[in-house]
Amino acid sequence: MTRRWLRWLPAAMVPAALTAAALAGSYQAGAAVSLPGKSAAEIIAMIGRSDVRALSGTLRQSSELGLPQLPSAGPLPSARPGANQGLAAVIELLGTPHTARIYLDGPSKARFQIMDTLAERDVVRNGKDLWLYNSADNSAAHITLPDAPAPGTRTPHAHVPADQDPKTPEMTTPEALAQRFLAAVDPSTEVTVGDPTTVAGRTAYQLVLKPRSTGTLLDSVTLAVDSASGLPLGIQLRAREQAAPAFSLAFSDISLAAPESSVFAFTPPRGASIEEKTVTSPVPVPESKHPAPGTHPAATRPTVTGKGWDTVVAFPAGVLPAGVRSAPAFAQLTQAVPGGRALSSSLVTVLMLDDGRVFAGMVPLERLQAAAAPQ
Amino acid sequence: MAARGGAAPGPAARAASASGRPGAWALMGSELSVLFRRLRTWAMLLALAAIPLLIATAVRLTSHPVPPARGPAFLDRISQNGLFVGMTAMLVSVPLFLPLTVGVVAGDTIAGEANLGTLRYLLVAPAGRVRLLLIKYAAAAVFCLTATVTVAAVGVLAGVALFPVGPVTLLSGDTIDVGESLLRSLLIAAYLAVSLLGLAAIGLAISTFTDIPVGAMAATVVLSVMSQVADNLPQLEWLHPWLFSHYWLDFADLLRQPISWTTFGGNALLQGGYILAAGAIAYGRFTSKDILS
Repeated sequence: MTRRWLRWLPAAMVPAALTAAALAGSYQAGAAVSLPGKSAAEIIAMIGRSDVRALSGTLRQSSELGLPQLPSAGPLPSARPGANQGLAAVIELLGTPHTARIYLDGPSKARFQIMDTLAERDVVRNGKDLWLYNSADNSAAHITLPDAPAPGTRTPHAHVPADQDPKTPEMTTPEALAQRFLAAVDPSTEVTVGDPTTVAGRTAYQLVLKPRSTGTLLDSVTLAVDSASGLPLGIQLRAREQAAPAFSLAFSDISLAAPESSVFAFTPPRGASIEEKTVTSPVPVPESKHPAPGTHPAATRPTVTGKGWDTVVAFPAGVLPAGVRSAPAFAQLTQAVPGGRALSSSLVTVLMLDDGRVFAGMVPLERLQAAAAPQ
Repeated sequence: MAARGGAAPGPAARAASASGRPGAWALMGSELSVLFRRLRTWAMLLALAAIPLLIATAVRLTSHPVPPARGPAFLDRISQNGLFVGMTAMLVSVPLFLPLTVGVVAGDTIAGEANLGTLRYLLVAPAGRVRLLLIKYAAAAVFCLTATVTVAAVGVLAGVALFPVGPVTLLSGDTIDVGESLLRSLLIAAYLAVSLLGLAAIGLAISTFTDIPVGAMAATVVLSVMSQVADNLPQLEWLHPWLFSHYWLDFADLLRQPISWTTFGGNALLQGGYILAAGAIAYGRFTSKDILS
């Protein structure tokens, strides 16, 4: 009889061993890493010195923004008319998990692939040619870039503080720049160095930016910086009163070798609808949180109240495209509040008043309402 | 089934005629010949082959072109390129038809023999219960590959016959020539076959618990449907990477340029885990049970 029960031993052991192996794998990924200690300024300087020009890797993005799930979680056909398409696309991009592959080779060759289920969205840049391709509706757009280097070719992570004279960076060392950056953000933000970690199999320093203000929804921003190359490998935004990160974007695998040049050679497929676009001015930097003055006509120029992380941006009436409010997604994403509708996520709140004014900020809804109240 | 006692010499007959332990390949060969001489197996393969034929004829007969982003993915590409028939057919058959046929074959493995009363003869020969399990599973695995390759091959043939054929557009927008696209179709068939291995192992395990093959088949198919339903519930997000059906639709990663092998590896690892776990349960049950029929 005992012999018979012994036969069942594998049935108990194998699942247990598999579970243990899976848990050990995930534990290993989060295991402590020992790296020589560095100060926050040294890590920022390392980012500034980073000279990674070629890479290929996979990015994983996940978010817990606390937004209601939209029924159409797939890629939206870019040809669909309607003013709300841009907004819905942005919410889809930020609010749902994605996997994307990125290939870079020098300043003028890049390819970005958002891998959707049974579909893909591509951005390919090869010299002056910029191609956008969406496999969901087999549409492509071709943009011929001007000769001058587009702003996208600059390292996007070297965030220059607003009060910095833009002409001087070439003259200063990354170390000095780091010190100036720290001094500039110090009144509003506490910059510390977190425990070293592993991202995509590479050891990385963690830089933690924590708002000093308690009035903001943001709890902390964590930046993982490759210990060897200084390349930022991941970013994580945490919200107050939420255990899971509100937004995280990180490499799941990365290689710093130059990708094959065939990756950047893109010819639109036969049968695709191709839209030809030309830009004479440099490509505008998309989705800037604080739009530079001058990009909006005077009538829709936003006013900024508060400072640091508590900033509330107020847009006068007329900034929302006409179709937005009537879109079905709008009613699902927002909730009715006195005087208008509000979009509340774990990081950002947007208050859209019935009179057309829009208030946005990384603050609770009450602060927006207070800012909207007539003084 | 008549085939067991009829013209096809089953493993029992072969095993009994050979002296000592029969060779594993001989057992495997006779098991496969029994499987593929069954009317039921052919009926299932024909039903699978009907899917690409149906898709191809339906698209061919409609006068107006399919608008993009409507219906299953790739459907709008078929009228321009016949090679997409196979891919559309594989996509359509993944959720139900392929698991259904695999469930029938895997659920029948042990329970079918028990129901016919041939199981004890199989075990009279010193073939060993473990070896019998392994051979039954290997035959089910061969059926998985046959089923997916059937869909892919009939799809390509139907596409070539009814539509123009040319370089294939991948999801990334890049174009590959006909030869490489055939290779990718085969890769997808292989990916789907691997995807079904876990389900086949579960079917085998269930099959050892009952003498009624229909029960094992139904249970296997129901499990595959339940796994897919759970995969669609956002509330069970933590469970998703552990479901054996989780990667079933991710074969699209083989249609990107360059090919993304990550899901292929992840899928193989997951199916391997299911094979080990279900195999251990099948072993526990089959080696400890009293074979009465």
